[in-house]
Amino acid sequence: MSSAALLTASGMKKTMKHSPIRAIAAAPQPMTRRALAKQLTRAKLLEAAREMFATRGYEAATVRDIAAAAGLSTGAVFASFADKADLFNEVIVAEYEFMHASMVAATDEGAPARETLLHLLTLAYESYLTQIRLVQAALSFCWVRDLLSEPRHMAAVELVRGHLAQVLQRGIDSGELSPTLDIRLTSEMLWETYLSNYRRVIFEGWGQEALRAHMANQLDVLISERKAAA
Amino acid sequence: MGVREEGKQATRQRVLAAARDLFEEIGFEDATIRMIAQRAGVSVGSVFTTFAGKTEILSHVMSDRLEGMYAELDRVAPHLRGHAVDRLRSIMAVHYSIEMRRQRLFVAYIGASFSWSADQTVIPLGQNVRFKGMLADILLEGMARGEVRDGIDTDMFVEVLLAAYIWNYRLISREGADVTRLIDLMDRQIGVLFDGVAAR
Repeated sequence: MSSAALLTASGMKKTMKHSPIRAIAAAPQPMTRRALAKQLTRAKLLEAAREMFATRGYEAATVRDIAAAAGLSTGAVFASFADKADLFNEVIVAEYEFMHASMVAATDEGAPARETLLHLLTLAYESYLTQIRLVQAALSFCWVRDLLSEPRHMAAVELVRGHLAQVLQRGIDSGELSPTLDIRLTSEMLWETYLSNYRRVIFEGWGQEALRAHMANQLDVLISERKAAA
Repeated sequence: MGVREEGKQATRQRVLAAARDLFEEIGFEDATIRMIAQRAGVSVGSVFTTFAGKTEILSHVMSDRLEGMYAELDRVAPHLRGHAVDRLRSIMAVHYSIEMRRQRLFVAYIGASFSWSADQTVIPLGQNVRFKGMLADILLEGMARGEVRDGIDTDMFVEVLLAAYIWNYRLISREGADVTRLIDLMDRQIGVLFDGVAAR
C-alpha cells in the first residue's frame, strides 16, 4: 500500500507520527537483492535515528546508540552515511518529503486558498508538537549545515514550499487572491513564518490552538488583504 | 566597586571580546572555552566562574552588542525620509549592514537561539521589544499620514517581517549571499507585506 493512500486530512497526524521513513523507503522499484538489503538497512537506521534525535536531541544522540537501536553495528551506519550530521540531514529530508506527501493528501483543491493553507500548516504543527526536540534540532542544525548537505535539504524544503505555492496559485486562478501576488516570495515568507512560530512552542509552551489562531492572523497579513478587486 | 568586583568585570569584558572575535573568525562550533580563555589572557577556570558555558557566552556577546546597535539606529532614525515603506526598507537595510559585519557570529546566534535554556538575561531573537517598537512606529506614522490603512495589525506585520528578516540569513550558506543580496530581498519582502496594508 502506498503511503499516500493511507492519508486523509484528518489522518495526517497519525500517519506523520507513524513512520515517514519506512513509508518512503517502500517505494516500489525493482532492485537487486543486495540493493534491497542496503535500502532496508538505511531505512532501519533512519527510523532509529529519528526516534533517538526526537527523544534526546541532536547532541546527545550518539551514532553508537542509534546503531544499537536499529540492531546494527556502528560500522553499518558509516556504510550508509558519512557521519552523524549526514544521518541527521537525511532524517530531516525524509520528514520534509513525508510532510509534502501528507500536505498533498490533505489538500482539498476545491477549498479556498487561505483556508487550505491554515489547515495544512495547522496539521503540520499538530504532527510536530509531540516531537518538538526533533524540530528544535532541525531548526538549529540548518544554520550550521555544510555545503554538501545543503542541496538535498533545500530540495526537500522546496517540495513543501512548492505545494504552498500551488495553493496560492489556485487562489489566484479562482479569483480569491490578487493576480499581482508574488507567489514565490509569499510562499517563502509563509514558510518562514510557520517555522518562526516554533519559538512560541519552545519558549512559551504554545499549543495547537494558539498556533492556529496566530497563523490565521499571520495569513491575514500575508494574503487576505490581497483579494482580487471585487 | 571593590577591587575584586572590578577584576571580575574586566575578566568578563575580555572574555566576551575574545569570544566575539573567535566566533566570527573560526565559527561558534569550532571555538572552545580553552581558546577563548587563551585569547582573553585569563584562565579556563575564571571563564567558568563567570559563565556556565559557550552558549551562555554567545548570548551575552549578543546582548552586549545591542547598545552599539541602538546607538546606530537612533542616529539614523531621525533622518529617515519618505513613504513608510521606504522608511521600513531603510531601517532594515541599516540593520543588515550592522549584523553582517559579523555575519558568522550572527548566524551562530540564530542557530543557537532555538535551544537557549531559559536564561532571563537573554533577549530571545525576534522578541527585541525596542526594535519592534521602532518598526511599529514607522507603520503608525504612516497611518497618521494616510500611507497605511487604519486599523491594521502592526504587531503581526512586524512579526512576519522579522521572520523573513531572520530566515534571509540562510541565503549566506545557501548561495553565499552578501549584504546587498539580503537587503534587496528584504526590500521585495517589505513590498509584498506593504501591498496588504497600503492605503488605497
